[in-house]
Amino acid sequence: MSTERTERLAPVLRIKDVRKVYTDLEAIRNVSLEVAANEFVSILGPSGCGKSTLLMMVAGVVERTAGEISINNTPVIGPRRDIGVVFQQPVLLPWRTVLDNVLFPVELLKQPRAKYQQRAMELLAMAKIADFAGHLPRQLSGGMRQRASICRALIHDPNILLMDEPFSALDAITRDEMGVELLRIWQANRKTVIFVTHSIREAAFLSDRVLVMGRRPSIIMEELAIDLPRPRDIAIMESERFNSYVRQLRNAIEASHAQ
Amino acid sequence: MRNSMPKKLLNLAWPIGISLLFLAAWETANRVLGVRSIILPSPSQIIEAMIERHDLLLSHLWPSLYLTVLGFVLSVIGGIVVAVMITYSSLLRLGLYPIIVVSQVIPKISIAPLFIVWFGTGTMSSLLLAFLIAFFPMTINSALGFQSIDEDIHSMARSFMGSRWQIFWKIRMPNALPHIFSGMKISITLAIIGVVVSEFVASQEGIGYLIKLAGGLLDTTLMMAAITVLSIAGLALYGLIALAERHSVYWQPSSDISGSVGG
Repeated sequence: MSTERTERLAPVLRIKDVRKVYTDLEAIRNVSLEVAANEFVSILGPSGCGKSTLLMMVAGVVERTAGEISINNTPVIGPRRDIGVVFQQPVLLPWRTVLDNVLFPVELLKQPRAKYQQRAMELLAMAKIADFAGHLPRQLSGGMRQRASICRALIHDPNILLMDEPFSALDAITRDEMGVELLRIWQANRKTVIFVTHSIREAAFLSDRVLVMGRRPSIIMEELAIDLPRPRDIAIMESERFNSYVRQLRNAIEASHAQ
Repeated sequence: MRNSMPKKLLNLAWPIGISLLFLAAWETANRVLGVRSIILPSPSQIIEAMIERHDLLLSHLWPSLYLTVLGFVLSVIGGIVVAVMITYSSLLRLGLYPIIVVSQVIPKISIAPLFIVWFGTGTMSSLLLAFLIAFFPMTINSALGFQSIDEDIHSMARSFMGSRWQIFWKIRMPNALPHIFSGMKISITLAIIGVVVSEFVASQEGIGYLIKLAGGLLDTTLMMAAITVLSIAGLALYGLIALAERHSVYWQPSSDISGSVGG
C-alpha cells in the first residue's frame, strides 16, 4: 500500500478544466483530475452525466471544447497507442475469431502478428477463454465476449486502460463474477485504469479511488479513497467497511441530485 | 439452432414432391384431354425437345449467358464503386442517392427500344440494358451495407488508431458483404431479364430471340424448351451466388439474409 501512495505523486493522466459542449448541449462543465500510475479510479455517476464522453475524450476519439488532457506529460490530440479501451458492448467483429479479434489492435497498429500471437493466447488463458480462441463471437456468451474485449484492450500492453461501463450489459450474477475477474487480471497486469460505471457497489469494490460526477452539465462532486486491502474478493462486499464506503458514495450521489 | 440433416432433407423433399406432383398432373391432363402440343406441350414433349434440339438451344443460350454474366459483373463493379462514393462523399450522397432511389421506380425495360436506336441491334444494347437494370439494386444494397456500420465498432477502431483506409477494408467491407450478396442475387435475375427483353426487341441470336422465333413459327414445344433452359441457367447462376455467399458470409447464422432492397 505504501508504494502506491508514493506513486500517486507522479500522475500518468492529467485532466484540467475540461469542458464539452455539443451544438446545443453542455455535457461537461468543468472536470479536473489526476490519476497516478497503476491506480484504479472509477468515475461514478447517473446515466447521461457525460462520464462516457469524458472517457472518449481521454481516448482521443471525441474532441474537447476546452481544457487540457495529457498523458505522461504529452497532450492528447487524437487516439494513441498507449491506451486500451473496453466499451459497454464487446464490439467484437463478428467475422473474426476470438483470437483474431484480440489481435485486431495489433493489426491496426501495423505490428507483426506473430510477435503478439503468444501474448494473445496468454491473455485469453488468463481470462479463462483460451479454449474459445478459434470460435466466432456469436458462439460465446455475453460475459465471455466481454472478457475477449478486455483481452483485446490489453494486447498491445497499453499504460492506461479505459473502461466504459463494461459490465452494464451483463446480468447481475455474471457482473459480480466479471468484477472479481477484472481485479485478478489487473493484479497480474498492473495498469492505470479509469473505470466508468453507474453501479455504486461495483465502483467501491474495484477502485482505489471513486470520483462522483453530478448531473449534466457535469462537474466532479465528490472524491473518495477506498482504502480496502488487496487482493479483494467478493466476500469483502459483506464487510462493514465496504458498506460504509457504499453509504458515503450513495450520500454523495443523493446530494448531487438535491442540487 | 442448426437443422439436423434429416430435417433439412425433409424441407427439401416437400417442394420437390409438390413440383413432381404438378408435372405428373400436367402430363396426365395433357394425355387424357388430348391437348395439342401447339397449345400446351406436355412435360415429356418439352424434355424430348430439349434433348433432340440441344445443339440449337445451347447455341442460343451461350450468347445470352455471356451477356448476362458480363452485364452482371459490370453492374456489381459499378454498383460497389458508386456505393463507396456515396458513402464517403456527403455531396454525392445528398445529390445522387435520391436520384438512384427514385429511378428504382422507372421501368427500365421500357428503355430497350431507345437503346436499339442508339446502339443498334447488337450485343451492345443487350449488355447495356442488362447492366442498367442490374446496377440500381446493386448500388442501393451496397450503399446500405457500407453505411450500416455500428457506431461503437467505428469508435473501437478509431481508439486503436485505425486509419480510414483500414476501417474501410477491415470493417466496412466485410460488414457490407451480406448486403452486397443480397444485391447480387437481385441483380443476376434482373440482368437475365435485361438480356432476354433486349433480344425480344431486336437481335439475331440469343435465347430471347429463339423464344420469339419459335413463337412466330407456332413451335410451342421449342418455346417451352427454350424457357426451361433459360430458367435452369438462371437458377444455376443464382445458385452459384448463393454458394459464394455461404462461403464468404460464414459468420451469419442463417444463409437466408433478409432486408434487401429489390429492383
